[in-house]
Amino acid sequence: MRLCYLHLPRFPVQRRVVETPSLSKKPLALVEDARGVRRVAFASAAALKLGVRPGMTLASARALTPELAAFDFSPQAERAALLSMGEALLAIAPAFELSAPDGLWLDASAAALCGGEEGLCRRALEICSAFGYRARAALASQRFTARAMARYGERPIEVVEVYESAMALSSLPLAALEEDDSSPLASLGLTTLGEAAALPLGAVVARLGAQGLRALRLSRGEDDTPFTAEALPERIEERISLDWPAEALEPLLFALKTVLDRLGARLAGRKRAAVRLVLTLRLDPAGEAELPLSLARPSAQPKLLLDLARHQLSDLTLDKPIGALWVRVEEHCEDPGQQLTLGDGPTGDAALEVVLSRLCTALGQESLFSARLLDRHRPEGGFAPGAFRPPERPSGLAAEALGPLAPPPDGEASLARPPRLFPRAAELQAELGEQGQILSARLLGKRRRVLAMAGPERLCGEWWTDSPFVRDYYQVHLEGIGPVWLYRDGDGRFYLQGMFD
Amino acid sequence: MDGRASAAVVERLRERIQKLQAAPRTYLLSLRTQVAGFDQLFPGGAVPLGTALELCGEAASGRTSLALRAVAAAGREGRLAAYVDGPRELYPPAAAALGVDLRRLLVVQPKAPGQLAWTAVQLCRSGAFTCVVLDLTHTGVRLCLAEGKKLADAAFRGGSLLILLTPPESPADGVVRLSTRAVGLSGLEVSVLRNRQGGAGARALIGWESLCPAPPVFRHRRPEAPPEGELGPLHPPYQRPKSGVDRDGGLCRSRPGRDCQLPSLAPSLGLSTH
Repeated sequence: MRLCYLHLPRFPVQRRVVETPSLSKKPLALVEDARGVRRVAFASAAALKLGVRPGMTLASARALTPELAAFDFSPQAERAALLSMGEALLAIAPAFELSAPDGLWLDASAAALCGGEEGLCRRALEICSAFGYRARAALASQRFTARAMARYGERPIEVVEVYESAMALSSLPLAALEEDDSSPLASLGLTTLGEAAALPLGAVVARLGAQGLRALRLSRGEDDTPFTAEALPERIEERISLDWPAEALEPLLFALKTVLDRLGARLAGRKRAAVRLVLTLRLDPAGEAELPLSLARPSAQPKLLLDLARHQLSDLTLDKPIGALWVRVEEHCEDPGQQLTLGDGPTGDAALEVVLSRLCTALGQESLFSARLLDRHRPEGGFAPGAFRPPERPSGLAAEALGPLAPPPDGEASLARPPRLFPRAAELQAELGEQGQILSARLLGKRRRVLAMAGPERLCGEWWTDSPFVRDYYQVHLEGIGPVWLYRDGDGRFYLQGMFD
Repeated sequence: MDGRASAAVVERLRERIQKLQAAPRTYLLSLRTQVAGFDQLFPGGAVPLGTALELCGEAASGRTSLALRAVAAAGREGRLAAYVDGPRELYPPAAAALGVDLRRLLVVQPKAPGQLAWTAVQLCRSGAFTCVVLDLTHTGVRLCLAEGKKLADAAFRGGSLLILLTPPESPADGVVRLSTRAVGLSGLEVSVLRNRQGGAGARALIGWESLCPAPPVFRHRRPEAPPEGELGPLHPPYQRPKSGVDRDGGLCRSRPGRDCQLPSLAPSLGLSTH
């Protein structure tokens, strides 16, 4: 199995800089509590240049670099961020496995779709770059080989052929092995994996035991550890904490863009599109505000989601600053994608989404719907409200090349139904002739002659329920008004139900 | 396929793409409702986009059908339309029968009458909807001049066609006004009452058959219009259809086993039968 390892050097530091660009090129350290002492877990390049090293106590690091900015290191948060990175990479690979805190393996079996193995590595680095991360990639047949080449190789992209692992690893330093594996070999004075691989197997096992055997096999490019695909979390959520509570829209939108970029990439990796999202704002010092975001057309485009959120936020008034925010995808569906055409850019339906969002906020979601026809005999039950999900309209040159659209499904086009149907049918005082035909009816305060009449059309049904109905419908042309739709119920009375307006 | 043949194919495709890119684009500037007579009321023979149009008339005078025809025209172009349903009387199955693509029709039913005009302004101004219908019938809302101008401005800025459906007792101001009136059994008369672009006073008689997808076959029909004023004594003057000509017209017997001849009501009402 071919595997691609993606190494993101000092990933927690990179993530912190991406979320807070003002920290770029400044001494920065992530510290963790170890037996009651705060020690440096990761340091930025600027801090490393000034002598700060991982494992150093924070007090020592501050003594070396007084301007050192220190932040708490949270392994869970870093793992979650790495997981979201892996989900975004699902766009080019069918599965991934985490190697926390700074790397992950990708299943490279679909490399042919990305222009070969080198193309896959290049695409992976491009996706990382889009997130703002620097990375290195190596592709090999063994997990260890790929990982070691990505971490200690000379080039940012390394591709190791199937039977060339040992040769590729030979020049790497012994530190490429895990610390537990390399220490016994280092005590023998070895410096490279090639030197370790040249040792006789029996002698190594006799002296160093199973640990030495494992180190020797890894040095020779023999690693049979299976690849275990990471399980994707059910909930798609991204969160970010602001360094300073935001009181204006601009810093909030900047943080939101970062969050939505990640969320969009995760959705795109899963080939899903968001239908409904919830933006939660944590207020400082306490409290929360939730904003629902609904989309008419499911989308995973961060720009569209940001436009929608910007509109929601611009109408929002809060009495406290915002300390953190997170976006959760409440409902998602398969991404139908957007077919781009010649001469068209990938622009979304931002105007549609924004106006729908505005109307949803002001009128309530139940006030907006798209009607869906139902197969019912009872006229007033002939449709049901549904979500407004209009189909894509072919645009640009495609629309001109494809010609007119196919007509919509006819429904009950063969039947004449009034465009206006009253929510409740009104009883009508009708005068009948000797044959039972309607002569006139009292409507809008006047008695009106019947100029013409068509019918009856008998509609009946629901006899299996508590409210069966049998109605004879007539189209009656009333003098001074026009054609109306009325029916005679089982009780013999006439009711006005609609108008052919 | 050898290299020369594939190069020729690529070259032909390249020429085709260049031709497509160089072709002039078509933009939608107006809607044709395909209702004979109605489109001709406007300059150019089609309803121009970017305008606010008022269809003012009594109930059952054909306003809604005309508006839905415009919505159907927008749907045929693949555009979206919205119907702000103030009285909550829109019947979507009838709209579908008139050719409306329900997938592309957003129905908005605000709870408060005061939100109707605001909703229409938002929909028009967004530019996402090509046709917006604002139904003010039975709502008691009368738009003032400022609101009318705001609606017209929103339609102009969004490039949408805004159609207002208003009753005669509460017409809108500041928009193009057309009145609709049912003219007996023949159809409805549409006349342009106000239009700054010209054409005021123009009239068109539209037959019911051009509005309804399945015009009713009237089995009972008065021979002539009654005199104006007080109605005379009621007689059953309907002409019975001749045998074999129109007996089974309409929808009767279209579903065997369920549609049957309606029994007479006369005995139950205490009337004599002949």
